[in-house]
Amino acid sequence: MRRRKINRIMSVRAALTSYSRLPLIIACAALIAANVGAPARAQPIKMYIQGPGSQLSAISLSGLKDLGGDSDHTLSSEFVGTVRRDLELSGYFRIIDPHAYIEDPQNSGYELGQFNFADWRSINSDFLVKGAIKIDGRAVQLTALLYDVAQQRRMMGKGFTGSAADVPRMARRFADAVLESTTGQKGPFDCKLGFVSTRDGRFKEVYTQSIDGQDLFRLTDNPTINLFPSWDHSAHYLLYLSYKSMEPALYLADLQAKRETRVMSARGRVIGGAISPDGQRIVAAVEHAGTTNLFMLTRDGEELAQLTDTSGINVSPAFSPDGSKIAFTSDRSGTPQIYVMPSGGGAPKRITYSGDYNTTPAFSPSGDRIAYQSRRGRFDIFVIPASGGDPSQLTDSEGSNEYPSWSPDGRYIAFSSTRSGRSRIYVLMVTNQKIIGPLTEGKGDDTCPAWSWWLGE
Amino acid sequence: MTRVQRGRGGWVSSSRGMVGARVAVMLCAILAIAGCSSKKAAAVNAPGPGSPLGENNQNGSSLSQFQNGSLGSGANGPLNDIHFGYNDYTIQPQDGDVLRSNAKWLGDHPQSRVQVEGHCDERGSEDYNIALGAKRAQAAKDYLVTLGVSPGRVSTISYGKELPLCTDSDESCWAQNRRDHFAVSQ
Repeated sequence: MRRRKINRIMSVRAALTSYSRLPLIIACAALIAANVGAPARAQPIKMYIQGPGSQLSAISLSGLKDLGGDSDHTLSSEFVGTVRRDLELSGYFRIIDPHAYIEDPQNSGYELGQFNFADWRSINSDFLVKGAIKIDGRAVQLTALLYDVAQQRRMMGKGFTGSAADVPRMARRFADAVLESTTGQKGPFDCKLGFVSTRDGRFKEVYTQSIDGQDLFRLTDNPTINLFPSWDHSAHYLLYLSYKSMEPALYLADLQAKRETRVMSARGRVIGGAISPDGQRIVAAVEHAGTTNLFMLTRDGEELAQLTDTSGINVSPAFSPDGSKIAFTSDRSGTPQIYVMPSGGGAPKRITYSGDYNTTPAFSPSGDRIAYQSRRGRFDIFVIPASGGDPSQLTDSEGSNEYPSWSPDGRYIAFSSTRSGRSRIYVLMVTNQKIIGPLTEGKGDDTCPAWSWWLGE
Repeated sequence: MTRVQRGRGGWVSSSRGMVGARVAVMLCAILAIAGCSSKKAAAVNAPGPGSPLGENNQNGSSLSQFQNGSLGSGANGPLNDIHFGYNDYTIQPQDGDVLRSNAKWLGDHPQSRVQVEGHCDERGSEDYNIALGAKRAQAAKDYLVTLGVSPGRVSTISYGKELPLCTDSDESCWAQNRRDHFAVSQ
């Protein structure tokens, strides 16, 4: 899988002279605002959206001004459509219908002072995205800016260069920056979603896509059973379980080098596992004579430590974000419960006491909480302090809700749910339990979501 | 528009692992009688043509039956399934007779080998169920061995909840799916 490099243009002072050309220079908002003589601010600056909820902020997404090469607005539509999808998924925004927009972006500017905020205030827009695009041969230069309509001020601007195929990623990175400007925390959309699906037949295969549903990539194509994708932080590696050799085994796919290795253990048959955030270690569930224990392996399969040693079941391992701890499921108490232990070995601590079937733990990105699924008839997603404490139910008992996977910013949890019949991947806002999605569509069942870390430059 | 990229063109696959070679040798030694097919690393995407039991299996593994669409069609082979309680892997008293009958058949067919497959119902998570199915398969293997079947003739595998015989969400269906299946080869 290619990762195209998108070069962000240097952030320096704005050149207000470059109206007619694409301004390659994006400044911090304060500088620009000052330079163009924004109206004096009498009221305090509305800086942050205070928590998502019933009160969504209204945002307008104007088309990109064509500065050459995009006269049919194809790339503009692709950019704006992707930003729209991401901001809708964020749960913070209501996108104002473009039919309501008064201004034609092709007949106005996109820098402060080149358009009329009244056109946007009159349609009750809290925020406004404007920008421009220029295509020169295969090179695309794209600028996008976020404005606070009430304050008539520029909040953020970004410039990107790349090819036409990079435009959706430019949009995701811009959407992440919109969330950073408006909520104080970067959005989680320039990421990959790994998942399992039967969309192409009866067989569970591993796929990846963008969070917003583009760039579908089928990783496995074997008519057997493929399960449990997990990412390292670089999204360079994807680890999964497959029966493609007619028995369960872990496979480590190097997505950049297009190489794959089978991870084996002399201790027995590997039936599950997860890769560490730094991509160096694999925690494997290894079955021998009916007993399944956890072992820490190097990425090459050398054993570093035996983590558990019971005669029962120890499965579903997950790394903490700093790699120092493992959360896992064990039946040592008689029922499946969540435990946490040091990743180098040591005494496990039982975390869950409520419910008689708790499994698939996932550490939050800050490491302070663990999401998991708990069976009450069907499954729901719960969250509990990583050191133990009172669990909170996050999903609403609609369908069966399974396989929590945190977004890297910690605000969202992807999970699979049968709430609308077929299993689909949805997103949960942790703060208010709002459910967004689905992120996936198609004929089959989609399960086992894995939200990657940010993809980086 | 969703663009699907078919993956895997030009992918390189290899088998790594701790002492991969040694394990393979060990496994082959252990399973020599069971016909250890050293196909593990060869298949990147295409599975082997049959189960690891080889070409002569009489009813095939449940996975190969699933692949060819015959799973649940009643082609069960010469040995009978046994069943389990919810989240349980103890052999139920009424299945003692089934296991004795299966052991007798194996005694009468000394060239045959069997792979015990552990299966689970749809409740519970995929990963926990794979481990639970391994427990169920091992429980039957242990029982067969106490009845005099050579352990070298009995291998185990778990399919978790991945290969149900029945897909309704009710107890009668779940009860059918919580099973050990005995895939025989010669």
